[in-house]
Amino acid sequence: MRPTVEEQLQGTCRILETVVAPCVSEPFARTILDNLIANLRMMTVALPTVAGFQRDDNEATLRQLLALREALPPELVARINQAVAANEPDVADGPAQEERNRLLRELLAAAVCSSNLTPEMHHAIVNSMIHRASRVPMRYVPTVASVNTSAAKR
Amino acid sequence: MTHPPMSSGAHADGGTDASVQLVVDGLNKLICHEIPSAHSISLERLSRAAGGLSRENWSLDASWTDANGQHAHRLMLMRDAAGTLLNTERSREFGVLKALEGSAVAAPIVHWMDPDGRFLGAPSVVMALMPGSCDYMVLNGSRPLQERLQLAHDFLELLVDIQAIDWRAAGLGEVLGVPEDSPAKIELRHWQAEYLRVRLEPHPELDYVLAWLGRTAPQAEAVVLVHGDFKPGNALIEGKQITAKLDWETAHLGDPLEDLGWITNPVRKREHQISGHWERQQIIETYRQLTGRKVCEADLTWWNVFSCWKLAVIQLTAVNEFVAGRYNRVFHTPSWLFRPMLQMMEGAR
Repeated sequence: MRPTVEEQLQGTCRILETVVAPCVSEPFARTILDNLIANLRMMTVALPTVAGFQRDDNEATLRQLLALREALPPELVARINQAVAANEPDVADGPAQEERNRLLRELLAAAVCSSNLTPEMHHAIVNSMIHRASRVPMRYVPTVASVNTSAAKR
Repeated sequence: MTHPPMSSGAHADGGTDASVQLVVDGLNKLICHEIPSAHSISLERLSRAAGGLSRENWSLDASWTDANGQHAHRLMLMRDAAGTLLNTERSREFGVLKALEGSAVAAPIVHWMDPDGRFLGAPSVVMALMPGSCDYMVLNGSRPLQERLQLAHDFLELLVDIQAIDWRAAGLGEVLGVPEDSPAKIELRHWQAEYLRVRLEPHPELDYVLAWLGRTAPQAEAVVLVHGDFKPGNALIEGKQITAKLDWETAHLGDPLEDLGWITNPVRKREHQISGHWERQQIIETYRQLTGRKVCEADLTWWNVFSCWKLAVIQLTAVNEFVAGRYNRVFHTPSWLFRPMLQMMEGAR
């Protein structure tokens, strides 16, 4: 389907930057517009990778939960087992993948706060969290100017 | 007595006509409320600043005549925005600024407050517009190294001056509340409540760090006035002088290491440090010399981690406000903060 989503986002950014932005002289509105354009540019790159990231993240989170199971309270283990038994949603079903991700990360949030984790488990948790953080596709793009006069500050 | 909504010749930019009118009307009413004998009020050069993540900031020239004669001031109105990153009370900020008047700490003189927004539509504070400009990256900007080093030192001295305020004598205990538990635990509880209020999805990383913070919270060596967001970006500089420390809405009584932890936080090195000249160890050593305090490394690391965690919660607030349609900038889960937090925790184990 042309224009693709990526092409539409890129085109939207181009139009906003070349047609709309030059007409926005009011500083506050221009700052807001710059932020929106920067975010659209980020999304242009990130969007194609979101589905793959979520699928990989669900698999990695599930593996991590299984690795922690022996140190977790029975009630949490039962919830993890339930999640393991559930069918993986279709890769193309974005909302279902999102919900699966929410459920697994909720379980992980409880698991990593367990008081019985071994030092090795803590080390593995930290490594996997750092690894995941480096791969998250959606990121804030700062656009606020670093130098302002007092009247324009804050 | 009636007043025109805006004096003739007034120029306003930044903001819609409706928001400008609201501010003008509100300020007129506020001035009349605060100074009943005021008349011939004129509000000129009204302009909304481009920045402001949590509040609207309007600068203006105000003049009026009252029983004491004619007055003219350059003013800054800080008004809560519809969507905000910081849930703070104007009365606290107003009280702190009043207490700082006449002290060694350079801060704006406050004129009036509209704590519940009955005049201006949202809680607001009106203060003097101070001379100088704001530069978030002044310590790593184009100024000569010696000048930047002097400014870095001056910023630390300013921090020490803030901590030296006799908060009991200044009445800040009543305004801000005196910590009855470890200040670290109190701050953590406060920001934990914010975290639970604003998060829209599970964040195992933040829960994991929170659990560590809860297990290792330090005791404070003293209780001092804490700015809560101490950075060059919250100060005005004119020439080589810091003319005012701004943004006191997160000020509170707490641990001296809290602000020190904010400025030695590794994720904000570019704002607070000068590579090879003014780094963590130099800041700590100078702070020790200026204050005579010990500065336990483990405790400071706790505050470094807390600083990152608090910053993460503030960004989640922005995400929440954006999704709710109250905030006009797009923010995302601050995953860039996770690595430094987790590495500092690993190093402290």
